[in-house]
Amino acid sequence: MSVNRMLPFLSTAIMLGFTLYVLQRYVVRRAPHFLFWGIGLAFFGAGSFAEAYLALAWNRWVFFAWYLFGAALNAAWIGHGSLLLLVRKRWVHVVTALLVIGSLLATYLMLQVMPRLDESVFTTTRAISEQYGTKVLDAGEAAPAGAETISTTYRGEQVTAVRGLLPLGSAVRLTTPFFNIYGLLTLVGGAIYSAYLFWRKRVLPNRVIGNILIAAGALLIGTASTLTRLGYGQFLYLGELLSAVLMFIGFRVAARPQPEEVPQAVPVAGD
Amino acid sequence: MSNPLPPKSKSRLPERSFLFEKIVPASLIVLGIVTAVLIVFAFGVLIGLIRF
Repeated sequence: MSVNRMLPFLSTAIMLGFTLYVLQRYVVRRAPHFLFWGIGLAFFGAGSFAEAYLALAWNRWVFFAWYLFGAALNAAWIGHGSLLLLVRKRWVHVVTALLVIGSLLATYLMLQVMPRLDESVFTTTRAISEQYGTKVLDAGEAAPAGAETISTTYRGEQVTAVRGLLPLGSAVRLTTPFFNIYGLLTLVGGAIYSAYLFWRKRVLPNRVIGNILIAAGALLIGTASTLTRLGYGQFLYLGELLSAVLMFIGFRVAARPQPEEVPQAVPVAGD
Repeated sequence: MSNPLPPKSKSRLPERSFLFEKIVPASLIVLGIVTAVLIVFAFGVLIGLIRF
């Protein structure tokens, strides 16, 4: 097994530990942001595990888990936890409801597309991130080496497309930008905002550093996912692993209890 | 009677620290820019400017 193929196993192990750590804090503190973080991290871990599995063998329901949890939902759920932590307003409950409804919709759309998967395309010689979606080739654009192409009609035009597992125009793929944008804004934006607040107030250096690490980790996976959409899926595994490590370290650093302030007494003349 | 000095807190940023005076603010700016780029890309995908 190549080093690249081992990376998702490592990511899964790290995310399992991270998830259990966060959910344990939810059990103790009962704060909702821990629950959403835990669920989001579980989605991340499920996506990593699915990736690791699909590097070795095909299973349509493992692919289902990879796309729905790994590609679509995890960032939004982790980010929503950050929103719950930072904003204590009633409208956040509306956003919670929208997230849940949107997730159920994405699940429904993914179930809808399952009978139309082009399973004959699958190969363990390529990462799942490089073969999951059917991609229309622009005029003059060459297909990647070894990729199969098809001629078909899409949006009323005759196009040439690189075959992928998900058929062209799958509605579920349209949902991922919404979840990813929301996840970027809340998770990364929230971490950057928190780090900035503590830095500006010159307090709690562990939370400054911890939030920067969390933001960096989340951006790393966001960047790797973006590169995957552009056809450079070979960075996804490494990006996931580094993201998991950075976010876990960042969370532990930020959550570290601080020593209490110790007033110092000096004797005044006459004592 | 003794007068307490202001609390000597270990939860405050260290004074004259290169990390917190230079690295941290630079990191925040870079992180913000990368975030903005990724959000713009995601919007591009959403409105069909970037095909996938």
